[in-house]
This record gives sequence, C-alpha cells and structure tokens, in this order.
Amino acid sequence: MSDSSIPNPKIKLAVYWGSACGGCCVSVLDTHEKLLDIVNAADLVFWPIAMDIKYKDVEAMADQSIDLTLFNGAVRNSENKHMAEVLRKKSKVLVAYGACAYMGGIPGLANFHSREEIFKRVYEESESTLNPDKVRPVEEFEVKEGVLKIPEFFNDVYTLNQVVDVDYFIPGCPPQSERLVEVFTAVITGIGLPPKGSVVGALEKTNCDECLRKKTDNKVIKRFYRPWEIEDDKETCFLEQGVICMGPATRGGCGVRCVTGHSPCRGCYGPPPNSTDPGAKMMSSIGTMIDADSPEEIDEIIETIVDPAGLFYRFSLPGSILGRKVL
Amino acid sequence: MEEPRIGVYVCWCGTNIAKMVDVEQVADEVSKLPHVTISKTYKYMCSDPGQELIIKDIRGHKLNRVVVAACSPRIHELTFRKAVEKAGINPYLFEMANIREQNSWVHTDRTEATSKALDLVVAAIRRVQYHEPLQKRSVNVDPATLVLGGGIAGMAAALEIANAGKQVYLVEKTDRLGGQVAKFDLTFPYLSSARQLIQPFIQRTENHPNIDLFLNTEIKEVTGYIGNFKSKVETAENGTIELNFGNIIVAVGLKPFNPTVISEYGYGQFPDVITSLEFEEMLSNGHLLTKYGKEPRNIAIIHCVGSRNKKYHEYCSRVCCMAALKFVHEIRACLSSANIFEIYADMRAYGKGHEEFYALTTHKQIIFLMYDQQESLPVIRQANRNDNCNMIIEMDEKLSGESIEVPVDMVVLMVNMEAHENVKEVVRAVGVSLCGNQFFIEKHPKLDPVATTTGGVFIVGSCQGPKDIPDSVAQARAAAARILASIAQGSVAVEVTTASVIEHLCCGCQTCIRVCPYDAISYNEEKQASEINEVLCKGCGTCGSACPAGAILSKHFTDTQILAEITGIMSMSYKGA
Repeated sequence: MSDSSIPNPKIKLAVYWGSACGGCCVSVLDTHEKLLDIVNAADLVFWPIAMDIKYKDVEAMADQSIDLTLFNGAVRNSENKHMAEVLRKKSKVLVAYGACAYMGGIPGLANFHSREEIFKRVYEESESTLNPDKVRPVEEFEVKEGVLKIPEFFNDVYTLNQVVDVDYFIPGCPPQSERLVEVFTAVITGIGLPPKGSVVGALEKTNCDECLRKKTDNKVIKRFYRPWEIEDDKETCFLEQGVICMGPATRGGCGVRCVTGHSPCRGCYGPPPNSTDPGAKMMSSIGTMIDADSPEEIDEIIETIVDPAGLFYRFSLPGSILGRKVL
Repeated sequence: MEEPRIGVYVCWCGTNIAKMVDVEQVADEVSKLPHVTISKTYKYMCSDPGQELIIKDIRGHKLNRVVVAACSPRIHELTFRKAVEKAGINPYLFEMANIREQNSWVHTDRTEATSKALDLVVAAIRRVQYHEPLQKRSVNVDPATLVLGGGIAGMAAALEIANAGKQVYLVEKTDRLGGQVAKFDLTFPYLSSARQLIQPFIQRTENHPNIDLFLNTEIKEVTGYIGNFKSKVETAENGTIELNFGNIIVAVGLKPFNPTVISEYGYGQFPDVITSLEFEEMLSNGHLLTKYGKEPRNIAIIHCVGSRNKKYHEYCSRVCCMAALKFVHEIRACLSSANIFEIYADMRAYGKGHEEFYALTTHKQIIFLMYDQQESLPVIRQANRNDNCNMIIEMDEKLSGESIEVPVDMVVLMVNMEAHENVKEVVRAVGVSLCGNQFFIEKHPKLDPVATTTGGVFIVGSCQGPKDIPDSVAQARAAAARILASIAQGSVAVEVTTASVIEHLCCGCQTCIRVCPYDAISYNEEKQASEINEVLCKGCGTCGSACPAGAILSKHFTDTQILAEITGIMSMSYKGA
C-alpha cells in the first residue's frame, strides 16, 4: 500500500478575531459549499464566532499544535494582544487575515485620536450619553464577590505584526472568499506558498489593471465630488470625474467589486509591493491632478476633499509610516 | 547585494567647517556604525591629496561605497564622483553630505552644529548602502540649429553658428528681422545709430547660405530631445516643411508695457502723453512735434512706468534710465531752448560707460525731479487755458520735499519691458520654464546662464529678462559657442538618474503622463502600461511621486534610498515623540 492512499491527517485550523467587526469571520462562511471542503481537510480547533471554546483551552494546547491560524481584527486592547501572543505560540502558520490585522483597518482610524479623547467623547460628550458623574471604565473593580477585570484599552491601535511575528498577510475588508480558498489550499498542500512575510491572495498590480472603466491621461480636477454629488456616467474613470477612487493605489485581487458596483475603490486591499505609505502615495498622486492657477485655488480645491486623512488612510493608518496623529 | 564597505571622509574645508563642527568627533562616532569600514578627516578633501586619499583607501580597504561630508554637492559632487570612478567604483556609489552651506556656515553653536553634522553624515551613510551603479549614456547631435526670434540676439546667434559652417533655421513670427533694436533711433551710451548697427546684421542674415529664414512663421510644436529635435513649419511658398535640428535657441524677446492701466498718467486720454517706443519712432522720422504740430516747449520724461512697482511689475527693466538720458541728448540737439524734465525714481547707470553718460547728460540744462515710487506717482492733468502749456504734472518732489506743478507740452513714458503674451506657447513647444515675471528661467543663474533645464534648449537676449544690446549679443554668442561645442563633439551626455516604469506593477492609470514636464512619458496600448523615453527624461522625479501604484522608479532617488536617508537623519539625536 502506497503512502498516497493513506488519507492525510486533517490539519488543525483556528480563526480568531481581535478588534474586528465580524465581517472577516463571515467571509470564511462565505466560502459557501467550499466550507465543507475546508472542514473535510481541517479540524476547526478554535473559532469564537462559531464554537464555544474557552481561552484557557487554547492556552492549554501544545505549542505549534495549530497548523494554521487566521487572525482577523486589529490589536486594540490587552485581550487582543494576549490572544495574538498565545496564538503565535500555538500556531505553525499565523496569517494576518483582512485589512485590520494587516494594516490596522477601520479601527485603526482611532489613531487619529488619543485614548483620552476617545473616552471623553464616548463617556462624557456624545449626544446619547447621560453620565453626570463622569464614570469611566476601570480595569479592576472590587465587588463583594471578588475583583472584576476588563482588558486594558491601549492608547494606540496596532497591526498584528507590530505585536507578534506574522507569516502571511491576506488583505481585504473582508478578503474575497475565493482568495481564502486558494490560500488555504496552498497552505495544506504546501504548493505555491510564497516566502514568509508575503502578501497572499492578492495581485501585484493595482485595481486599475482590472477595472473596465475608460482611462486616459485626462486626470485634471477642478473640484472633488463625493460619489452622491455627481451623476456617475458609469463608464469613465472615477478620478477623471473628480471622485476620489483609491483604485490606482490599491492592490488588485478583490475583482474590482466596488467599481463594478459603481462605487469608487476605498483601498481595503492596501498598497502594492513598492508603495511604502498608501495614504501619502495617493495624496501625492492626487496633488498632481489638481488643476489650479494660484495657491489660493489649490486651497479651494483641496477644501472639497472631505476628511482627507480618514479618506486616504481609511484602512492603513497604524501600518503606515504616518502611524498615528502625533498628539 | 554585496556587503557594503563604506569609506567616510569628513572635510575640514580649512577652518570653514572645522571651526564650527568637531570633525574628529563626527568621524569617530560614525566609525562605530555598521558597514563603515574606515572614517577619516582631512583638511581639504577636494584637493589632489584629498582625492588621492579616497582612491588609495578604495584600493587598499576594498571599499565599495564612499561618503564625503564637505560642501554643497553642487560644487564638488562631480569631483568626487570622478575620483571614485578613477579607483574603479561606479561613480553613483558615492554620496555627499553638505556640512558647510547647510551647517557650519549657518550655525553659531559648535555642539549643536556638530550634532547636526553627525545626523547628516549618518543619513548619507544609510542612503549610500542602497545606491546602485548607473551607466553613462550619450546621444548623437544633429548639426542643424533652430533659432526662434529674429531680433538682434537671434541674428547674432544664427550668424555665429552659420559662420562656423553649420545649418541654421531662423524662425521669426513677424514679417521682418530686427526686433526691438530696429525700432530705436540712437543707442546709448555712445549715441550711435541703431539703424547702422542692425541693417548690416539683417543683410548678412538674409544672405547667409547657411541660414534658412522663415518669416511670418510660428513654431507650434517641437518633438524629440537634445541632439534630435523635429518640428514642422508652414511656409507660404513650399507648404509644410519638416525640420530636423539638434539644438534650439529661444530668442523671442519682449514687448513694451501698455501704460493705459496707470490712471495717473492718462495715456490714451492725452494725445501728447506717449510711450518711449512711440517717441523713438518720432525721433527716427525726424519730427519732434506735438499732436497739434507744434514744437513742444516743455518735455517731461517719466521713468519706471510699470517698473519697480508691485501693482504692475516689481522688477527693473534695466534699459529705460539710459534710454531716457539718450532722449535728453536727442531733444537737446533739435530743441535748444526747450525745458526738459527728467522725472525719475532712481537713476540706474550700472553699465560700462553709463555713469559717464549720466554725468555728461547733467550738463544739458535739464531739470531732474525725483518722485517716490512707493508713496505716490506723479499725476498728469489738462492745463487751464491761461496756463501757457498743454498739461500740468502734479508731483511730490522727494529731494525738496515740496509738492510742485510742472508745465508740460509732451510727456514721454519710459515704459517697462515685459514678456510676450505668447511665451506660454513657446514654453509648451520647447519645454522650458518661466519665472514669476514670465521670463524664461536659465539652468543656473550664475554658472549656466544661457542653458535651460531642458537639454539642447538655450535662452538668449531679453526673453530671459530685460537687457541691453551688448548683453543680448554676449548671451547669443555664448549659446552659439555651447551649441558649436556639442556639434563638434558629435554627441552629448544625457541624464543618468532618469525614471523608469516597472512594467509588471504599472496598472495603466496614466496619472504620470500629464505631469511630465518633458513629454517623456507615453502610454503603450499593447502593454497597457506607461513608457518613459529615457533620453527625454531629466530625472525630475515628478512622475515617481505622482504614480499611485509605486510603479515608477526614480533612479538614484528611490523610496528605499530616501527612506534610508530619513531614518538615518532621525536615528542619532531625535528621541521620538
């Protein structure tokens, strides 16, 4: 009997969420019937959204006993950090899964503020808050029954690889499920896996390469529009219509879904290989498109970009050179 | 990448650097950094023994990277590149840190200046590790030259080149040669005839076998690059002709300012308020009369009309003061008893023979009145019937401090000389830059005054800024010499630090095409990617920063190199936020 006829032992798979919305976990379910293939090939040993397995159970596992962990979400508090460290120890291959784990993602926009600013807003100032005593959460609180503990809320949001060593990165908000199947297949077969540290499940070229809209060098902008402010002709490059589209600065691989649905690219797949700071790159690119005759006109045109920092660094702030707002 | 072995050389520059920077300390500190094989100081790195030191170390210590911390790279980068090349290293595996102009010369605290020098040297050390060898390239030069503009500068340049036996295409947009000089009566300061000066020039230009003259012609578009330009001209006789040429001289001149906008002077409203150019014409025709055909008894000449005034043009037109004094001589020659008023803001007599000319003019029984350009301009009004003159100038006379009235029958406005409206078309056609006053910008204001940042394109005469005849002719002949040198050599070196497209990363968004000031980028439909013509590219880096995909590599200024430099500068003294 040859070895090939012996079924491979199932691999052990974990999926965990840090500071996340749940969308990444849902994207695993979005593999539809392919999920059955995954389950056939893998034992799910830990997946909080779907299974009741406690942290202590994971902590008790032998080191390197999990073959593949998909960690989604950013690292925002001490609980996220602790689990990142535990899973790093327990896993052979740790993948930063999705924009938040990879670059900081939407939660990473909090790096435009400090913890104090966030707490003040949430616990004192927000329109729906009634908190005359200005009570704030505390990490430890003594009650009759003992001490209650909640995780520490960090001042900064971190990407996964700012906290632990990461083997691969899969971009996307969320990653396209087809890409997950490809990557998963590569991990279990060991075929076609790129060197450690690579971005997988995405292309090297940016989204314009796959975008079917008409593109010319006529990127001359007199004012910027938000998508709802103009009637999209549905065939001309968004930038040429004055709508900021992150497509040219964003890795392909998503299948240009947003633009196909007539919405500009928001940049969730992150920068292509040679781009060190996607926000700065796109801003410097946008700068060249502004059609102004005087410094004052440049200011006027730039004023039409609403929340430029949030727009250009929507998914990438903690992982960018900028990192955060220096307070 | 081979293991970097870096030699660092910190220059004293005599006491220029050593006085303010502890060069020994800098050399000592950096010697501890990784990949620094050797670090030394020397009194004058640029001297022959200084260069020999580098060459000996490269050979002896098998260095493969060199950093020199000294003066501005503008001064000695080439010197040291040549030195390292002599020792067998690619000249681009060298980096210079400027610790003189950007440090010792501008600081007064020795400790802080030393710490800053260290930062700058560390930045250079980090950067040079990522330098890559680049290869020199050259292109052949077409021996024909295109000259735009048939004024005195354009003709001087054309004749110089044609006399050397080379083909010249001279394109003039009007129907005649001669430009502004052809409109003058006499020239300053020797009061010789402008006509006698320009006419032989025009004839020689028209009859020269090596000059093809195109009158009533404008160039709409020039394609190609240094050594190999192409353009089409429309001619009345032969239809469209395609011209090939290796170099371009831009000599499109300037035009007089229209003083209608200065309400104080009433130009256009008073018939006897005329511009200096109109007065030249009057003198050339030999009739110095008012509009009513009378001999003027009182003539005023107002200086700085539209010049040195933030409302109009801030710059000085340079030629008007001497032209005004020239007018005094001409008026006095035909009207011996007329009152002549020189109403000036400042008298500028900077040229050869000009101060003497000014002194000579003061003996011509004229009245100098000074006004304050910043405070108030003289105001011209109609005289009353019993005033016994045509107009009155009201002014605050600066030297006496009194408000006075000056009777006049004729006023000559010494108008500013400004750029042509159509210079932007020339800019588009030949790819050169303009300064804020719409004059063409030279490559270097001191060391390269007739070249531009576009290889093979030269600017001469007053399109570079108002100037007199000798300066224009000197520039024209200088540019001709530069061109003849490149023709004699047969080829010219082209920029090495160009940009290139990383094809497998280019997504075809075409953002780079429009931003290129040298038209060096085109879109390849087949490959669906941008392409850079590296002969046209000057390595300005605009496309590299515009490319949102990071698909354009600016050689010698890659993101990796620049980030390494920044990290280096922050690594020593910066403690972080």
